[in-house]
Amino acid sequence: MSDVTIGVARRSSNTSGPKRAWLVAAREVRADLRQPDGLIAGVTFMAVLVLLESLIVGPQTARQSAVAPALYWVALLFAAIVTTTRSFDRELEDDAIDAVLALPGGADALYAGKLIALAGSLVVVALVGGLLEVVFLDLAVPLPLQLVVATLLGVLALPPIVVLDVALTLRVRARAALVPILALPVLVPQLVAGTNAVSAALSGDPSGSLGWSGLLLAAGLAYTAAGIILVPTAIE
Amino acid sequence: MHATVVLDERPVLRAVDLDLPPGITVLRGPNGSGKTTALRALAGLLPIARGERDAPDDVLYLGHRPQLLHGLTARENLAFFRAFRGSVGSPAAPLGVDDALELWGIRRDADRPVEHLSAGQRRRAALARLEVETCALALLDEPFAELDDDAAAVLRATLARLAHAGSAVVVASHGHHDLDDVAVRVCTLREGKLET
Repeated sequence: MSDVTIGVARRSSNTSGPKRAWLVAAREVRADLRQPDGLIAGVTFMAVLVLLESLIVGPQTARQSAVAPALYWVALLFAAIVTTTRSFDRELEDDAIDAVLALPGGADALYAGKLIALAGSLVVVALVGGLLEVVFLDLAVPLPLQLVVATLLGVLALPPIVVLDVALTLRVRARAALVPILALPVLVPQLVAGTNAVSAALSGDPSGSLGWSGLLLAAGLAYTAAGIILVPTAIE
Repeated sequence: MHATVVLDERPVLRAVDLDLPPGITVLRGPNGSGKTTALRALAGLLPIARGERDAPDDVLYLGHRPQLLHGLTARENLAFFRAFRGSVGSPAAPLGVDDALELWGIRRDADRPVEHLSAGQRRRAALARLEVETCALALLDEPFAELDDDAAAVLRATLARLAHAGSAVVVASHGHHDLDDVAVRVCTLREGKLET
């Protein structure tokens, strides 16, 4: 049996890889602005957890510099899962994802574009959640710059793994349970580093915050590299 | 493409050897015969268990459903695909987004989010992609479904234009014979096997 011969010249996209990723990100942001339910769900989830934690463990325990950051990062991780899941749910409506995956470079662009868009959404969720924690728990912030840097690096380390796990479980019925199960073990270094970096910033320890922030940066880069390598196969 | 595709441990395509010349190839067959699986395998959306997919990278795949992102308008969806593929100014995709929307009769509703359009309008918006994108291989799954006579005529003209420009066009259809007179090849799939 002979292999197929398509009697036309192979043509590829004239658009560069980074531009394709930005196009996907812009498409995502535009859809989010018109249908902000994913973002709203993430912010609401974060706000409810912040309120609950002070009710459950009491304000004195909740505002301890080792406790508040840990709860914050766990809450932000689950908010990221909620927001990312909603983003891919929209792709599955009318099989929109198939059109993108069939495009030249579509899988890579989809992953990179989702990363960019989700990072933007998570910055908003992290900002709102962080402000709520500071206000409701009456937290002192002696090192605000270090706190912002640690939070931003921690936020940027989340999307590569969360997007990868949601993509891996895209058409699996038990996705809601599988995503956290897959994501949590991999994200332990991020959660530990994020908690310690923010804790150090809240305790007035600049060198500690800087050191843990460096680990956050390394985790983010490692996760992104792993995602870029794995995601085309995962989506397929 | 020479391929065997296995889904849920069941072979859906059995050693299908599909040679696609430029022009329109009609893939016919009853429901469940493997037409959609063949198109998805050609589009690179399904892993091939045995054999290989040898097809161009720039595939335009239009499935059963419109594949338009909810939350975006028809115009925004088309503009995304056109920019992604970099089709601007190509002779094989001569129309801009507005002209394509006009041709397919949905310009008036082009700025409504696609989830607010009717099924027929969404189908038209999806098919308008054929006007604004260049591709070497277009794969269309039951494209005449939900189209009225006017839209079906536009589709026939568009597919003829693509074929004339040198693209390979594969149309899966279980019943329509609208393209038999212009097709370079009509194949039939039965239970995952190809009959020519």
